[in-house]
Amino acid sequence: MNDASQESQANHQGPGYGLPGLTGAAILAALGAIFIYVPTEQTEGAVQRIMYFHVPCAWIAFFAFFVVFLCSILFLWKKEREWDIYAHASAEVGILFCTLVLITGPIWAKPIWGQWWVWDARLTSTLVLWLIYVAYLMLRVQSEAGSTRAKYAAVIGIVGFLDIPLIHFSVLWWRTFHPQPKLITPQGIGTGMDTSMLVTLMVSLAAFTLLYFMLMSLRVRIEKTKDEIDRLKKERLYAH
Amino acid sequence: MGNLGYLFAANVFVWGGVIAYVFSLVRRHHSLQKDLDLLKESLKKESGHE
Repeated sequence: MNDASQESQANHQGPGYGLPGLTGAAILAALGAIFIYVPTEQTEGAVQRIMYFHVPCAWIAFFAFFVVFLCSILFLWKKEREWDIYAHASAEVGILFCTLVLITGPIWAKPIWGQWWVWDARLTSTLVLWLIYVAYLMLRVQSEAGSTRAKYAAVIGIVGFLDIPLIHFSVLWWRTFHPQPKLITPQGIGTGMDTSMLVTLMVSLAAFTLLYFMLMSLRVRIEKTKDEIDRLKKERLYAH
Repeated sequence: MGNLGYLFAANVFVWGGVIAYVFSLVRRHHSLQKDLDLLKESLKKESGHE
């Protein structure tokens, strides 16, 4: 077996049990911390526990879009298909987490603010971010595969990321319904939180980070399998 | 809806969404892997005939 076919076979082997097993264990630990370990917050009650899903989902969405940004730059620079695959996969996973942020936010807001949605700077800029990356994925679905599509997608992937600093600073620059950051404050990291809340949030963040890498490995494998099918079809065409 | 109802709803959306996405990825990969195996098999047969 030559190197290319060995490599292609390695791309299509099963995901193994290491990362999914570790992710499953981390999710169980996070659920234990959220529902058993951390005490109920006194002002908001049980609904405050939504924070342990909502905040990690937001961070992972931002991280996923940062990966899109980085891989898009690398693709435009090096013109290697590998970077386009990682950018595409990360955008899809990022959209999942951004959607979960936009769902869990209003569910948390309704009992606390009395309404599902307000058009404040943080919520609106997050919705804009979601729309930008939906457009990114629609471009990939609607247009024909090739380097032109990849180039346009890379440009959207880079420009779209510029919304993230705006989302982060929106609660500091404008008066918003959305609370100010509790974890990273001018006084230091974690000073605005009780230790048990901080530990729970960190465990949940670790679980969601592992989940991101597991989903990425599955999504990248799909794209590589598609490429392998295209390569073999072309080989067959040229052989005839 | 009580406070617990909101917490339950958020959990359903988060884990339901993640599980649905994992299933869709596994299904897409299995279907592509099947296509790839068929293609490899037909290529092998074709090369055997030549």
